[in-house]
Amino acid sequence: MLQNRKKRLQNFFIVLFLSALGASLILFSLNSKLDLFFSPSEMLLAELKPGYRIKLGGMVKDGSIKREGTKVSFIVTDFEAEVSVYFDGVTPDLFKEDSGVVALGYFEDGLFFAEEIFAKHDENYMPPELMNMAEKK
Amino acid sequence: MIGEIAHFLSIASVMILTLVLIINIIFSFSSGHSNQLILSYKLFNQACFLIFLSFGIYIYLAITDDFSISYIANHSNSQLPIFYKITSIWSAHEGSMFLWIVFLTLWSILFVNYLSFEHPLKKGTMLMLTLIILGFLLFLLVTSNPFERILPFGVIEGADINPVLQDPALAIHPPLLYLGYVGFVISFSFITAYLFSGNLSYPWEKDIKNWSFVAWIFLTVGITLGSWWAYYELGWGGYWFWDPVENVALMPWLAATAFMHSLFASSKSNVLKAWTLFLGILIFALSLFGAFIVRSGIIDSVHSFANDPQRGLYLLGFSGFITFISLGIFAYRLPSMQSSKLIVTGSKESFLSMNNILMLTAIFSIFLGVTYPLILESLNGEKVSIGSPYYNTIFSPLILLTSIFIMISVEALWQRGMQAKTLFFAVAPTFLLAALALYLIWYFVEIFSLLAYVGIYSGLLIIISYFLKAALTIKNNSYLNKGSFVAHIGLGLLFFSVSMNSILSYQKNINLFPGDQQFINESIEEFNFLDLQNIKASNHDIVLAKILILQNGNSIYLNPEKRKYFARGQITSETAIHATPLKDTYLTIGDQLENGSWTFSLQINYFVKWIWFSSALMVLGILMTIFKKKIR
Repeated sequence: MLQNRKKRLQNFFIVLFLSALGASLILFSLNSKLDLFFSPSEMLLAELKPGYRIKLGGMVKDGSIKREGTKVSFIVTDFEAEVSVYFDGVTPDLFKEDSGVVALGYFEDGLFFAEEIFAKHDENYMPPELMNMAEKK
Repeated sequence: MIGEIAHFLSIASVMILTLVLIINIIFSFSSGHSNQLILSYKLFNQACFLIFLSFGIYIYLAITDDFSISYIANHSNSQLPIFYKITSIWSAHEGSMFLWIVFLTLWSILFVNYLSFEHPLKKGTMLMLTLIILGFLLFLLVTSNPFERILPFGVIEGADINPVLQDPALAIHPPLLYLGYVGFVISFSFITAYLFSGNLSYPWEKDIKNWSFVAWIFLTVGITLGSWWAYYELGWGGYWFWDPVENVALMPWLAATAFMHSLFASSKSNVLKAWTLFLGILIFALSLFGAFIVRSGIIDSVHSFANDPQRGLYLLGFSGFITFISLGIFAYRLPSMQSSKLIVTGSKESFLSMNNILMLTAIFSIFLGVTYPLILESLNGEKVSIGSPYYNTIFSPLILLTSIFIMISVEALWQRGMQAKTLFFAVAPTFLLAALALYLIWYFVEIFSLLAYVGIYSGLLIIISYFLKAALTIKNNSYLNKGSFVAHIGLGLLFFSVSMNSILSYQKNINLFPGDQQFINESIEEFNFLDLQNIKASNHDIVLAKILILQNGNSIYLNPEKRKYFARGQITSETAIHATPLKDTYLTIGDQLENGSWTFSLQINYFVKWIWFSSALMVLGILMTIFKKKIR
C-alpha cells in the first residue's frame, strides 16, 4: 500500500509539472500574442510601440478608396477620428465604401499598414464593435 | 396547412417525451415492472419517429417553395436547384438547430434499440437521452421556431441562400459535423446511466467503443470538409484560421481522441477508469459549449449566427444543467472508483496517459483562447482578439512532446515497465533519422523557421518510428496493430504537411490589363491574362478571366471568376486551382481598377493535398480498428 501511495505521489508530481508547463506556456503566449482591437480614435490616443500588431476597426470613408496597381489605400473612420490605411493585395469581396472593415497590421508615423483585411460571410453582418459605432452615428 | 402538421408533430413529440419522463418518475417508486419499461421504450421510439416525420415534411416544404414559412422565405429561393433548396434548411440558425436535433434523435433511437431489453443500463440511458432531446426540442420551438409563418400573407419569392454557401462541400459539411458532435451524446448518456446505476464493476467500455469511434469519424470528416471548403471558396488560401467556431469543434475532437486512447488502456489493462469516464462526459459537454458559442452570438466570428441573448441564456442554462447532472454523479462516485491498479512507469499506458494530459492541456489552452477576449472585455472593456500566433506558440511544444511520447509508446509494452536505457536505445535511431531528414529539408529548402521545424521534426518522429516498427514486425513476423499504424502515420503526416505548407507557400499580387503578360519568378515564367468573358448563369452573372500560366515549362489554364448574385446583389469570387501532388497553383481575381486593369492574387500552396490526405488516413485507421474487431 505504501508503494502505491508513493507511486500516486510521483504521478501527481508529473501531472503537476506538466500542468505548470502548460500554464506557463499559455500565460506567456497570452501576454505576447494578443491583437488589441482599436477604433481610429482609440488608436490615436493609445501610445503604441512601433512594430506592435493591432486590429483596427471602423467604417471605410465614402470616396476614400484609391487603387494603384495592387496597392489600395483608404480612410477608416469612427466618425470622430480618421486614419489612412495602406494595403497591398486583393481585398475581400465585401470590402466597399461606407461599410465596416477590420484591418490587422501596424500603426507607424500616423499611417496604418495593413497585413490583412478581413472578410465576412454575410453582407448584413457587422462586428459588435462596429455596431456600437454605427449607432453613435 | 402542411406546415402546421409538421409543427404539431414536433409539439406532440415534446408531449410524449415529457410523458416518458413522468411515467418513469412515478414508477421509480415501485419496483421496475417490465410493462412500464415496454411502454417507455415504445413511447420513446414514437417520439423519435414524430421528429423524423416532422423534419421530412419540412424538407418537402422547402422543396415546394412554401414561402409563407418565414425561415424558408428568408433562406431559399424558387430559382435554386432542388439540392440547395434542401441544404438551405441548415444554412442558418433555426433550420440547422432542427437538423442538430434530428441527428440527436437518430443516434438516440439507434443506440437505445441496439441495447437489448435486459441490458441493465438501457433504461437509464434512454431517460438521459429523453431529457436531452426534450431540452433541445423545447429550445427549438420556444426560441427559434423554424415553422413560424409570415402572417397574414407569405411572400412571393424567397430571399435566397447566401451564395458562398451554395457549394457541395458546404452543403454536406454541417450534417457530418453535427453527426459527429451529437454522436458523443451516446457515451455521455451511457456513462451517466452507468454512474447512476452504482454497479461499477460492469464493463461499460465494450458497449460504446464502436459508437464513439464512428462519431469520431464523422467529426473528423466534418472538420476536414469545412477546412477544405474554406480553402477553395474563401479565396484566402488558408485552411485553418483559429476562428472561435473552428476552435469549439477542435475541442471535442481532441477530447474524443484522448477518450478513444484511454478507452483502449482502460479496457486493456484496467487502468485510467475514472479518467476515461471523465473524458466521455467532457466530449459532449464541450459540444454543448460549442453550440452555446455559435448560437448565442456571444463571440464575433464569421460563423456565428445573429446575436440573441435569450437563446444564449437558455442554451447556457440547459447545457450547464445537463453537464452538472453528469459531473455531479461522477464526483459522487469518484471515491469508490479508486482502482487498486496503478499505471506502471515506462509502460505503454503510462505514455498514453502523458499524451492524454497533453491533449487536455491543448483543450484548455484553446478554451482560454476562446473565452479570454470575453473575460477581458467584461473586466476592463479592452477589446482583443487571439489569432494564430497564440495557438502556434502553444501547440508547437505540445506537438513535439506528444510526438516524443508517441514514439516511445510505439516501443513500450502494455502493463510492463521498461528500463529507461532499453527505451532510449530503441528510440535513438528514430531521433537520429528524423534529425537527418530535417537537415536534408533545410539543405534543399534554405528557409528556417523554428516553429515550423519543430512541427516537421515532430511529424518525422512519428512517421519514422512507425515505419521502423512495421519493418521490424514484418521481419520478426510479429503482431502489428494496423489500424493504429495507419492512423498515426496520418497524424505524423498532418504535422509534417502543415509545417511544410507554412514555410514553403508564398503569394504574389498582380495587376494586369486583359491581353498583357508578366514575369513572376524563375519557376513561373509567365502570367498571361488572355481574355475576359461575361457569362449569365441561372441565378448570377459571371465575369470570367482566362489566364495562362507557364510554370516550369508547363502551360496551365486557370479561370477564376467574379460572380454577382441577383437575389441579394452579393459579389463573390471563385478561386481557380491547379493541383499537382506537391503544390497547388491558386488564383483569385480581385477588382477592376479605374483604368480597366484587373488585380489578381496568385498563391503557390505546398502540401495542401497532403493535409486532406492525412486526415483521410486517420479516418481509415479508425475504420480498420472498428472492422478488425468485427472479423475476429
